[in-house]
Formats: sequence, structure tokens, C-alpha cells
Amino acid sequence: MLYEQELKTFVEGTTNFFEVAAQQPASIGSPYLMEGTPSVHEYTGVINISGKREGVVYFTAPKAMLTVLLMKMQENDFSHETMRDLVGEVANTISGNARRDFGRDFVISVPSVLSGEKPAIPQKPGQRSFIIPINWRSHSAKLVVSLS
Amino acid sequence: MSVAGLERRRQLVTAGLGTALTLVMGLVLIVGFRLATHMRAEVTALQAASTLQTYPEEISHQLNTLRDRLEVRAYSGKALADLQETVKHFDQELKALDATRDVDSPQLGRALLLWHEYGPVLDPVVTFSGQPYLDTDSGGSNLSREGREHYAQVKRAQLFAADNAHALQAQLSSLASTLQQSASQAATRLRGLLAAGVLAALVLAAAAGYFQFTRARHERAARDAQEQTRDILKTVREGFFLLDANYRIGSVWSEALARMFGRSDFAGLSFEELLKNLVTPATLATATKYIKLLWGDRAHENLMKSINPLGQLEITMDNGHGSKETRYLQFDFHRVMGPEGIKHVLCSVGDITSSVLLARELQDQQENANQQLDMMLGMLHVDPLQLVSFLDTAETGLKLVNAILKEPARSDAEFRKKLTGLFRELHSIKGEASALNLKSIASRVHALEDMVSECKKRPELTGSDFLPLVLKLDELLAHLRSVREMAARLTDMKDSPVTAPAAVPAVPAAPAARTPAAAEAPRPRAVEDMTPTLQAMADRLAADHAKRFRLSMHGLADVPGPYNATIKDCLIQMLRNSAVHGVESPQVRRDSAKDEAGAVRVEFRRTADGYELLFEDDGAGIAVESLKAAAVKKQLISEEEASLLDTRSTMALIFRPGFSTQDDVSMDAGRGVGMDVVARSVYALGGKIGVSTHPGKYTRFKIVLPAVDSASSAVA
Repeated sequence: MLYEQELKTFVEGTTNFFEVAAQQPASIGSPYLMEGTPSVHEYTGVINISGKREGVVYFTAPKAMLTVLLMKMQENDFSHETMRDLVGEVANTISGNARRDFGRDFVISVPSVLSGEKPAIPQKPGQRSFIIPINWRSHSAKLVVSLS
Repeated sequence: MSVAGLERRRQLVTAGLGTALTLVMGLVLIVGFRLATHMRAEVTALQAASTLQTYPEEISHQLNTLRDRLEVRAYSGKALADLQETVKHFDQELKALDATRDVDSPQLGRALLLWHEYGPVLDPVVTFSGQPYLDTDSGGSNLSREGREHYAQVKRAQLFAADNAHALQAQLSSLASTLQQSASQAATRLRGLLAAGVLAALVLAAAAGYFQFTRARHERAARDAQEQTRDILKTVREGFFLLDANYRIGSVWSEALARMFGRSDFAGLSFEELLKNLVTPATLATATKYIKLLWGDRAHENLMKSINPLGQLEITMDNGHGSKETRYLQFDFHRVMGPEGIKHVLCSVGDITSSVLLARELQDQQENANQQLDMMLGMLHVDPLQLVSFLDTAETGLKLVNAILKEPARSDAEFRKKLTGLFRELHSIKGEASALNLKSIASRVHALEDMVSECKKRPELTGSDFLPLVLKLDELLAHLRSVREMAARLTDMKDSPVTAPAAVPAVPAAPAARTPAAAEAPRPRAVEDMTPTLQAMADRLAADHAKRFRLSMHGLADVPGPYNATIKDCLIQMLRNSAVHGVESPQVRRDSAKDEAGAVRVEFRRTADGYELLFEDDGAGIAVESLKAAAVKKQLISEEEASLLDTRSTMALIFRPGFSTQDDVSMDAGRGVGMDVVARSVYALGGKIGVSTHPGKYTRFKIVLPAVDSASSAVA
């Protein structure tokens, strides 16, 4: 069973990114559970976790949200690569937070970025995931925590 | 002997040796100086005596020369001057020798006496200053009158000197010899003294050398010991330090301490300061008092150990990555005794985090194992068909809960709206779990309900408040899965030919042998006999609330399939209401001239246009005023509104969400959800519900349901 603090660490890692990068905090929506692979948005930053917990944590966001985020960050380049870099950066922040809070108990991979709406996310069959909607301005992204 | 004692002794010996060496060398030098001074005086005197012993012969010789010069009328001035000079030197030197304190010999006395006798005969000679000759042309040079007297005096002196010079010389020679002997003896003594001094110095130097050697050896041993102590303190995994009488940490501590507390400024740090920011003020105050007690002579160490408030101290500190972590430390205290009582308190600190976590994990596992065992034992008495049906219902209910959570929400109102729906779904699941006596599920759902209640109390809701709910929901789903797997295993055991049929209660056989995988899949709900479930629930409620029931059920076998779940849910809720609010305790019933066991009657029957369910207990009934008071207290209506309510409207309060006459929440009542769920379920089927009561006599619920076909269209 996942602990509340573990879940909060991932959530805070995500919301902190918005607060720092866009100077505008993100809020979290109503969290829920999902069996199987949840649907994802165009850009997804994934970190693999092993050790005390096994599985994946990923942040998936729609292109529209990332575009506005880049604008808030005074970026003029809205290319595919920049979008990929941005979700990678969010995943990196989540990973940093997790490293800080969990220490050696968790082995956290370097973030990888997937794009497209049907990316191959390595997920255990039958594994329930926690879906935490991340609301920022009028947009909504998802933080998916799928750990056993 | 202690190290400090040895060191003190070594210092004393060093000081003693140094003092002895100084004294001996001082003595040798003083005595040597005196001896050398004496010897020098004697040598001087010896030199003087040696010189003086030539003078008498010289004087005698010069007198002869003077006489001869006078006799031949030669010039005598030079001879006289020589004599005067010699006499003067002899006299001065002899007197100087006499004046020397160190020379005190009879020879000198006798020489002085003799010289004194020289005086009358020599003085006229040496003091002569006249003209000894008279020169005439005729006679040449002749002695003058003064000359003749002078000549006579010289001759007399010459004769005296001839007689006494030898004696005077002998005395002086003897004196020189005596002085030589004395000087020689003094030299011998000085040599001896110097030799003794050198020997003493050598002995002392040897002793000092030996002492220095042993000291160096001890220091080396002490250094080795210190190094070993350092190695131990560096390697040991426990934190060690000493506390002094002012409760301050000493200058030596083990390195583990720095790792445990994330600081290294321990020397002189007070024990209070060490714990100040790590523990609560109350714990700090207790720990400080305890440390003070340790210094008391009368406190028994074993007793003190048993009341140690720091046996398992939970502290929160930086984990080195900029975040906080919780650790568990165990402090142990031992008094270090000295000759004058307690010298220090040795404090050892162990990091027992892993042991505590392991113990907790084991305890959790044990509890889980016990719960599983309880659950399994409970499941043995449940009809497998009912159990599977319940699991299906519960899983469906929890999926509905998840669906409610999944509804997008951003505002407080949107989040708050979810809570009511969550309550209803959870309450139904809990009711059925309680009815089947599946405590592990009922308690988990109850905990989830508690969380929903907590959310309700918050002034503003956000998604973060729902994180614990979703985690609990996940745990509950996982638990349902394990219950389902266990149920499948039990069914397999029951179906197995090697299982003795008498070992399990007589329950209807499962429709078919199931595999765990098959058991996991939701299946269509079958018509079930709910009578045993309700009876078991009545028994459980009676035991939990210290009441007695006599439950009679009629016609439940005729409940049509589509109504089965609703009827069961309604009966479960109404049975709980009766147990908590309706049926009185045996004592109260006796006092009211009623039978100790409350009569609860359930009747289901077909009517002309549908079905009717009656639920009646002969309990305390419902007092209209208490309903109003409870509604006002729960802030469902104002006092003014309450005063305007008629009996019918007051009774309708029972079905309002959040209404309960009970202040405390328990497994069976208090949330104000149950009757709301009943009413909604009935309305959903196109039915009606009514309640009639007589305080002190009975409460009766009547549910009217349409024929099954009409119900299907109502639901649709």
C-alpha cells in the first residue's frame, strides 16, 4: 500500500514546478483510481521507480497547457522538442523531490519523455493507478502514480 | 590505580627527583666553593710562607754585605737600601700572613715572635740615615761617629741574624710544610666532594633517565589507549557521551552521535539543548527531570532504568537531502561512580529506527494475520453465494465511489457535493458487511466514512483533502480482492471430496467449483435467502448493544430478484436503527413491564398492485420533540422552523441526509446516512416509505413497492 506522504511527495513535486517556473501555483483536482493504463495527453514525462516501491510515475499534459506554460516562462520556442523538454523538466522535478524525501529507499530512474496519445508506458498488468488531476489556469494535466 | 592517579604519582616523582638533584648539586657546589676558597687561601699562604723562608738568609746575607762595605769604607747606601727593602717586605708579608684567618699555626707564632726579637737590633740599622763616612784629604775616608755607631749596630744585627736566621727560616719552612699539607688535604677533600657530586648527579641522571623512559613508555601506552578509544568511538554505532553534574556533555563522544543528531558541537552542550528542538516541550521537561534524578544518590539504577522516558524517543530531523525524516532513538543512562559519589552519567544512544519499524511491521502483519483468520472464521458461517453476492455489490459500490471521485472538481462546492454521495455508497456497503459479520470490511469502510466526515468539517475543500480517501479506497479494494480470493479457497475446500462435510456449517452448496480467477470476476446477482444474514446481524447487534431481540421474519423468500438488494439494504438499516434507537435495554424494558427481549417483526407480502414490507419493533418509539431537537442540533432546521413542523413533517426528518439523534458516531449509527439511503433506494424503485410510531410502544416502517415490471420502468 502506498503511503499518503509518498503520494504527496509526487504531487508537491509537480505543483512546485508550476509555482517556480510560471509563478502561478497549480491546484490538484479530485484524485481517483484507475485499473489498466490510463489515457494520456500529448506529452508525458515518465520516471521509473524501483527499490522499496516498483512501478512508474508520470506527468502527462496536453499541448495547449504546455504552450501557455512556455509563454508564462517567457519562451518563444513552442516546438515539439521544447514541449518534450518541458514535460521532461516536470518529471525531473518530481524525481528530485522523490530523491530528497525518500533517500536510498527508492531507486529513481532518469526521466524519459514520450509523446503521442498512445505511448508505451511500462506498467504492470492489473496494477491500479492513482490519477491526480493537476489543474493550472483553465487547463488540466494528470499525474499518474502507479506503484506497488 | 587509575590513569589520573598514575599521572599524579609520576608528577610527584618527577618533582622529587628534580628537587633532590638541585639540593645535591647545590650542596656540592657550596661545600666545594668553601673548600676551594679555603684551599686558595692556604695556597696563597703557602706561597707567602715559601717566599718568606728565604728572607732570614737574605737579611743575614745583606747584613754581612753592609758590614763588609762599612769595613772597607765602600759605598754602603745600596746595601742598606736593599736591606731596608727586604726587611720591609718580610715584615709586611709576615704580618699579612698572620692576618690571614685561615692560617693559624704555632710555627707562624714562633716565627712572629722571633721576628719580633729581630726588631730592636734591625730597626737602628734600617732606620739609619746619616753619613757613615768622613772624607779627609789626608786620611781618606773614615767612619764618622754616626758611621761607627751604624757599623756597631750592623755588626750586632749581623751577629743576631747569624744566630737566629736559621731558627726563623726553620719556623717558616715548617709553616710552609704545614700549609702544603693542609692545602693538599683540602684538594683531596675537594676532589672527593666533586667525585661524590658527579656520582650523585649521575645517579640522579640515571634515575631521571629511567623515570623518563618509564614515563615515555606510559605515555606511549596512554597514546595507544587513546588511539584505541578514538577508534572505538569512531567505529561504534551507538552514540556515547558523559554528562557532568551541570548536565553538560563532556569533551569526548562517539562519532555516531554526530550522525544521529546532525551536529558536532557537543562539548559543553547541555542535555536540554541537545534535545530542545527534537522533542516536544513535555518530553523535554520529563527528560530533564529524569537526568536530575539520576544524580541523586538515593535513586536506584534499575528502578531508574525502568522509568526511563527516553527508552524510545521519536525525533524528526533533516535527512541530509533537505527534507525531514523520523527516527527512533533509545537513550540509556549509567552512573559512573567515583570515591566521592557520582562522577558522571554515561549516556548511550542507539538508533533503533529499523528495529521499531520492523516491530511495527511485524505487529501489522500479526494484526493482518489475525484479521484474516477472524475473517476466514467469519466467512465459514456465511453462505458462499451471499458472500460472493456481497463482494459483487461492494465492488460495484466502490466503483461508484471511485466514479464520484473521478467527477472533475475545482471549487469547494464541487468537492463538497461529492461527500454526500460517498456517504450513501459507503454506508450501504458497511451495512451489508456488518450484516454478514465481515468485520474487517465493515471497519475499513467505517474508517473511510470517518475520513469523509473529517472532510465535511473542513472550511474549504481541495483535491489534497481527497488524497487520503483515495488511498483508503485503494486499500479497501485490495482487501476486497483478498477476501474474494480467500472465499474462493474456502469454497474449493468445501467442494473438495477430502473435506469432511461435518467440519463446515450446513450451507447451500456453491453453484459450481470456482477458481480464484473466476471468483474475481463480478457475476450476476442471484436470488438469495437473506433470513440467515439478518438473523446473524440481529444476534451481532444484540451482543454489541447489550440488548435482546426476538426477530421474526415472514415472506422474505418471496422477495423478487430485482428488489432483493434494496429490501436487504433497507432491512439492515432498519434493524440497526431498532438496535440503537428502538429496542430498549433489558432493564428498561423490565421497568416498563415489557418482555426483556424486544420483538422485531419483518413481513413481506404481495399486494394487489405490488409488494409491501413491514418492519416493526416494540421499542421506545420515536418522540417527536427529540427528533426536532436533534434536527436543530445538527443545524438541519432552525428552532423557528422546528416549532412550525407538524408530526408528519417531523417524522420526515428521519429520511433527511445527515439526520441522526445520536451525537457519537459508531459502527451502527450516528452519521445520518442510513435512513436517507433507505428512502432513496425505495424512491429509486418507484416505491414509498412511511413511518408510524407510538412513544414507549412501537415504531413501524411500511415500504410499498410497485410490481416488478413497473419498478424496472421506474428505474429506467
